Amino acid sequence: MSSAGIENLNQAIDAVAENASSQIAADERQRAVRGQVGTTIVLLAVVPVVAALWQLVRWAAGLPAGVGFSWVWCIALSVALPVAWLAVKALTSRAEVDRLQALGAMDATLGSSERVVTADQFLQTSSPDGFMRAAVEDAESWIEQGRQARLKSRISTRIRTGAALLAVPVAILALAAAGWLAGMTRTSPVEASTKTAAIVGPGPVATTAPKETVKRPFAAERPENPPTVRKAGPQPSSSQGSTPANITPEGAKESQGELTDGETSSSQQSSNPSSAQGAPSSQGQPSLAQPQTPRKATPPKPRNNDRKKPDRPRKRSEEPSGATAGQGSSRGSNNNAASSDWSARSEMSRPDDESVADEEDVDDEDEEQKSRGGVQPNLRDRREPVNRDLQIGFGNAPPKADSNGRGGPSGQKKSRGVASLVLGVPIPDRITGQPNRGRIRVTQHRITPQVEQADPVLAEDRGRRQGKVGPVHHPDFSPWLQNLVRRYFLQRRQSNLSLPDQPQTSGLTESDSPKS
Amino acid sequence: MTSTPMLDDPAAVRQAAAEFNQIHDAVRTEVARMMVGQEPVVDGVLAALFIGGHVLLEGVPGLGKTLLVSSLGKAIDLSFSRIQFTPDMMPADIRGTNVLTESETGGTKLEFQAGPLVANLVLADEINRATPRTQSALLESMQEKQISVGTRTIILEEPYCVMATQNPVEQEGTYPLPEAQLDRFLFKLVVPYPAEEDYRTILRRTTSNEAIELKAVSNAETVLRMRHVVRAVAVPEHVESEAIRLVMATQPNSPYSPSMVNEMVSLGASPRGVQSLILAGKVRALRQGRFAVAGEDLRAVAMDVLRHRVLVNFHALSDGITSDDVVSEVVRKVPSVGDGAKSTKSP
Repeated sequence: MSSAGIENLNQAIDAVAENASSQIAADERQRAVRGQVGTTIVLLAVVPVVAALWQLVRWAAGLPAGVGFSWVWCIALSVALPVAWLAVKALTSRAEVDRLQALGAMDATLGSSERVVTADQFLQTSSPDGFMRAAVEDAESWIEQGRQARLKSRISTRIRTGAALLAVPVAILALAAAGWLAGMTRTSPVEASTKTAAIVGPGPVATTAPKETVKRPFAAERPENPPTVRKAGPQPSSSQGSTPANITPEGAKESQGELTDGETSSSQQSSNPSSAQGAPSSQGQPSLAQPQTPRKATPPKPRNNDRKKPDRPRKRSEEPSGATAGQGSSRGSNNNAASSDWSARSEMSRPDDESVADEEDVDDEDEEQKSRGGVQPNLRDRREPVNRDLQIGFGNAPPKADSNGRGGPSGQKKSRGVASLVLGVPIPDRITGQPNRGRIRVTQHRITPQVEQADPVLAEDRGRRQGKVGPVHHPDFSPWLQNLVRRYFLQRRQSNLSLPDQPQTSGLTESDSPKS
Repeated sequence: MTSTPMLDDPAAVRQAAAEFNQIHDAVRTEVARMMVGQEPVVDGVLAALFIGGHVLLEGVPGLGKTLLVSSLGKAIDLSFSRIQFTPDMMPADIRGTNVLTESETGGTKLEFQAGPLVANLVLADEINRATPRTQSALLESMQEKQISVGTRTIILEEPYCVMATQNPVEQEGTYPLPEAQLDRFLFKLVVPYPAEEDYRTILRRTTSNEAIELKAVSNAETVLRMRHVVRAVAVPEHVESEAIRLVMATQPNSPYSPSMVNEMVSLGASPRGVQSLILAGKVRALRQGRFAVAGEDLRAVAMDVLRHRVLVNFHALSDGITSDDVVSEVVRKVPSVGDGAKSTKSP
């Protein structure tokens, strides 16, 4: 091939490469644009959202309506921003197409089995051999076809938008919100605060909450911090007409006068905590010395006593006296509670215990009284239960003097209360297997290596074996031979070391005898 | 003495390529008189013969593997020997040994008697039944084209081609070929079952009184001249790169290896794989009427060239992944120049 022919072929391949490169670049540009469709849709909602936010700020600042909002501009910018984004992406997407790749793509399109690429490489070779030149000549027809050929488009026609389509309704809603907010104006600060509270929600309401908290009745805040009330020092008792004590909760007022069936006033009084408090006073302990005042300072709970007597302050003034408490106790079902050492011990050892726990006990007692109708004794009043055991004695235990067969369960049974809550249905062990040997402990001890003294064994010539060469006699005798030897020595012992006769055993020869 | 064709002129190249195709077709047609069907296998064996490589044929019994090799020997007029490998076969049985013979003067002398390895076409039947010691006796003959017995070194006559067969079933009592020996085979050709029409032809030929006598359509000298033509086929630079990447992709943790290779392959192809890829690609390019190797030639012969050079690990065996699957994945993953701009976007 002449140099002119080679030059023409080079130009033709250049044209093919240019054709393929331009098409590949266009494909890449189109691919880049298609890849930005999702982002473009998202950008469609940017301007409406910004406009809506701006109108919200304007409205909050009290600026006049319609400032900074125009339907025309808003819609125009909403469309212009995505279009500009796409244009920038299309202009900046510059695919670097290699010449080899462009020609290879053209070969793939033409189905020329890489003849064009091969010819392009062989044309650049300084000294091509026969096969190279034949390959170049073989590619000429394909090169001519490649100058006008169109590459197969590798771009998928499917556009992936994903969740970006949600931006379209968002843009529409934001645009509508911006337009709606643009027509609103705040009139006065007071009304604005009210409207803001209505729009924003709990924010403005929270600002007025402290005022309501201050005006809230004492009963409402009592459960939040009852110890503070007690530790505030000697508070005026209820008889002194303290203000908190006089305030009755609404719930307590509404519950007054409610009596269930079977519920009597005496049973209610017996279950009153004041009955337990009356015990120490009956034993000569001054009731005023007891720190009962803080308990009285606590707001009263709905009690049956209060239901009976609506004149609540006057009733409160009567309660602290021990006589009143003792009286209530004597009218209760438990006639031994006042004199029991158990209740007295608890009263003396923990004088302020009741003030801590009785608030809960009162509620529990009321509920229990209602549920049991006052027939059964209360089990939580910390009085010693009446022993129902009428036996003279059980085993070595001495009979109790107060055993009358009435009252609640015995102390022993009462102590099993928690245990009785355990499931009574035995659940078999579901783990099958055998008990192992237990834990295996492996201990490792570090021991320093010690040198053992030993004489070196030198190799030496042991010489030839001097014994007879032949079958080695096996030391183990056969059973019949062992029996023969045993009988031999037994006979010899019986004959007092006299030589016995030769044993008559078949098959025994002189060579097989033990002597040999 | 073999005459080397002058291939500097494109016209001579075209003539040499045409001659190659003519000889190839003649041999193929003659072998097809005896061997029914199995055209890809016949093409592979012929390609190996024109390249100068060795072939490992794998197939169940009765598919005509032995018949193919013997027919090829008759069609090209090459010396042919067959070795039926057994576990008790020793290296001296196939290489030859010195035997004590009686001289003409009445005395005795040691005389070397060559074994069956000294031939042009050697059929190593059921090679995996021989012990590794005997299998390794083939290494020198396959790679160096010579055998050493005692102080004697025998240069084997070209063309020399070892065609070994092995049975994929009945693996009990066999000795799998070591990787060093597998790498010396140019191709591993899997012989499939014949097609339905081929069965009819086989029945007509083998169950009648018709006797087929093959005639030689070529000779050893022609084969050697064609080998020279094959090796003169041009290889573009991008094809060399593609062949290198294909082979490197079979090696675990190489820059081009796909994840499947990294997980499932314990041993990849060696540099012999690249050589075999290019040589086999040259034969295919000539058969396709081209004067340069293309990427599609490499991909067409990649399975036969690489399947026995890829050793899969235990994970692949447990998952049922074979070396054929790995090679297919490699061919699919490695980009070619025809992929165009798409290849630049791939990681």
